[in-house]
Amino acid sequence: MNTAISPLIHAPDARIMPAVWKLLLLRVRITWNSFRHAKLRNKIGIIFITLVFLGFGYFIFSMSSLLLKFVRSSEFAQYAGMDLQPFLASIPALTLTALFIGTLLTSFGVLLQALYLSGDMDFLLATPVPIRAVFIAKLLQAILPNFAFISLFGLPLLFGLGTSGGYNFLYYPLVIVAMIVLALAAAGFSSLLVMLVVRVLPPRRAAEILGFAGAMFGFICSQSGNFANSFGRDINISGTRVTGILLLANTRWLPLNWAGQGLVALGESRWLSGALLLGGTLGLASVAFWFALITAERWYYSGWAGMQVVARKKVTRSPRPANATLNGIGLGLARLLPKPVLAIVQKDFLTLTRDLRNLSQLVSPVIFGAMYTLILLRSGGDPPAGQGEAPTWFMETFRVVLAYGNVGMSLFVGWMLLSRLSGMGFSQEGKNYWMLKASPVRVSHLLASKFIVAYLPTLGLGIIFLTIISIVQGLSILEFTYSLLAIVMCLAGMNGILLSFGVAGANFTWDDPRKMNAGIMGCFGQIVTMLYLPISFGLFVAPLGLVEFLNLPIAYGYLFGLIFGTGIAAGFALIPLWLVRKRVERLGEG
Amino acid sequence: MSETLIETRDLIKSYGTKVAVNKVSFDVYGGEVFGFLGPNGAGKTTTIKMIVGLLQPTSGTVKVAGHDVQTQSMLAKASSGYVPDTPNLYAKLTGRELLRFVSDLFNLDRSQVARRIDELLRMFDLSAAADDTVDSYSHGMQQKISLAAALMHDPKVLVLDEPTVGLDPKSARLIKDILRQLADRGAAVMLSTHILEIAERMCDRIGIINKGELVAVGTMDELRTLDKTGQTSLEDIFLSLTGGAEETEIAEILK
Repeated sequence: MNTAISPLIHAPDARIMPAVWKLLLLRVRITWNSFRHAKLRNKIGIIFITLVFLGFGYFIFSMSSLLLKFVRSSEFAQYAGMDLQPFLASIPALTLTALFIGTLLTSFGVLLQALYLSGDMDFLLATPVPIRAVFIAKLLQAILPNFAFISLFGLPLLFGLGTSGGYNFLYYPLVIVAMIVLALAAAGFSSLLVMLVVRVLPPRRAAEILGFAGAMFGFICSQSGNFANSFGRDINISGTRVTGILLLANTRWLPLNWAGQGLVALGESRWLSGALLLGGTLGLASVAFWFALITAERWYYSGWAGMQVVARKKVTRSPRPANATLNGIGLGLARLLPKPVLAIVQKDFLTLTRDLRNLSQLVSPVIFGAMYTLILLRSGGDPPAGQGEAPTWFMETFRVVLAYGNVGMSLFVGWMLLSRLSGMGFSQEGKNYWMLKASPVRVSHLLASKFIVAYLPTLGLGIIFLTIISIVQGLSILEFTYSLLAIVMCLAGMNGILLSFGVAGANFTWDDPRKMNAGIMGCFGQIVTMLYLPISFGLFVAPLGLVEFLNLPIAYGYLFGLIFGTGIAAGFALIPLWLVRKRVERLGEG
Repeated sequence: MSETLIETRDLIKSYGTKVAVNKVSFDVYGGEVFGFLGPNGAGKTTTIKMIVGLLQPTSGTVKVAGHDVQTQSMLAKASSGYVPDTPNLYAKLTGRELLRFVSDLFNLDRSQVARRIDELLRMFDLSAAADDTVDSYSHGMQQKISLAAALMHDPKVLVLDEPTVGLDPKSARLIKDILRQLADRGAAVMLSTHILEIAERMCDRIGIINKGELVAVGTMDELRTLDKTGQTSLEDIFLSLTGGAEETEIAEILK
């Protein structure tokens, strides 16, 4: 029997590195082609952003070099009254540890996507390319963007430390080597975690949960400053204490610190200890990477092969009666709505709440609102007592402004929610938009349904927030009703603006809901509403302050506020939608 | 002759300087299955998308069930059902919820909807998966639920883009039978396909499009008379009308 393979090809090459090189070159070619075929404005944008990043890197390098030189100076030590050398020596260890942990955490999601959810795995695994090469290439492609981002901060800082301390030339290339090896080791561990997780959860579900957890973590971290300001006033953090913590973190017992300590030692020409420490870390990291590579590769192949035969996990929902979701929305309202409008509203609520990736975007404003409410409850909502010298009219006007200022805060929470629900109301249809477009649904019905989907939850959140503020601040029934009306109208106007910009920038080509906001229109919408919000809300509140100032009956304030505020808000709720109605007809034809 | 249910006149669709569909005119009548054939990139999907109102023609007109798709789009869309080549469906809805959603979009009478949904689910052998979310469906199941959605309102016109791709023989046969029954009940069925055998066996008339232009329309017998070489199979006619020389060359290379 003739066992020869096709005469057109050579025997399959089992060597790893040439195959990795080929796969990486392929990625470079794809990236280059994408750039080459991009629109001119996108090309200019990419070049501009690259230059900005390079400039930023140089800025960090210059600043850290200057600052660290200053910190090293005897004048500063005299002023600070303590020895800062241990602090300076801990910088490389801390930076490299941050790089390792950062890569470990950020690689997880990217590796999950690259190893299990990218579309090219069938093709690659069917070719005579060693599986290990595919794995290494995927690993490198996945960690490169995060590595570059972390290095943008870390590398200039470490180089700045080198120049400020007059470290010898060997320090600089070794910094780069240490960063690369540690990042690879972290990515190896991350890939092991990915393999373990996909053995328990389907990759898509894992990606959804990860997206949700990541978004929540990011949001809570970003807001931790507010918590710290509000709740951590009594914590005293002194410089000595910080230095003590840093020294503790830079312990010799942690192998992760050896690289940083070794780099400092080599930079200061302490060759033996430097070589031992750095060599120790690099050796351990290389072994760890190799171990992770071999193990993950085995798990990966069996996991991937398993994915091909195991059907997707079924998510069974109990059959719902036709009006199941209506209980939540209100049957009365449902009867008023045309059937297609109600159908789209129900469908949107179901799809939004069933996908964790969507939910993460929706929960952020709720957390923000809850946090602000906690802060408000803690402060008691009272205006500052002041020195007791301000005139009564001023204090009264100030109280009104403060009371309604907090209502304005609830509008801000609403703005956050509307930016997602309304601004991406059309984009969230994605590739399914054909179902709406091919159906006999009027443009007005389509716009109305998207308006309702965004408006109802936002209004609900706004009312809850307003009620809490009213109780905490002891607002009168009149003030509460007026505030409620202001919120109802201001949110409607904001919804109209955001929905219109959402139509103008609708993107139906995404695969991951977190990437549906692709253009600049969403950004414009948010900017316009940030301008609209103070104007619209100001028109409700300003007349109240004005009548206080002019000593006129408050009823005039309410009357003028209602006329101007409601008029403007209603205009913004309707006119932008009227302007984009023709565009809705053509959506999805790009 | 039966009622004309799809009517295209001088249909043109351009993207910048590229003309995807050029002056295409044809009719599809009630009671017939019309096959729409053409090589990759010939303009089949673009033409179909203009018929179902997903794309606006650059010029020319399309009428569905007598209603202009541009000026009377609501009436035209209410008369037609569409099954795309890739069944992009709301992944987080269950099959039953999806069909209910479509029934509401088409404003169907609620009292009839539950019965109709059960009927369609049973017909497509999807009853057991009715309450599973669509993202757990196989490609074939998604294709079937997509067809069930298109049939919810019992359309007068059914347009299908590559309906049998990815289906097992049993499901493919089921779909073919359903389309035939639908046509026998007076509906117009238009389908695009690459499988010439399906077109030859299922379709009453066939239109062949090449490089955006309609090069032939007619029954199999009429197409045979068009072909000067006297070819008898649809495959030979198709290759002769759309340029079969390349295929012969490919076969030579593969030898």
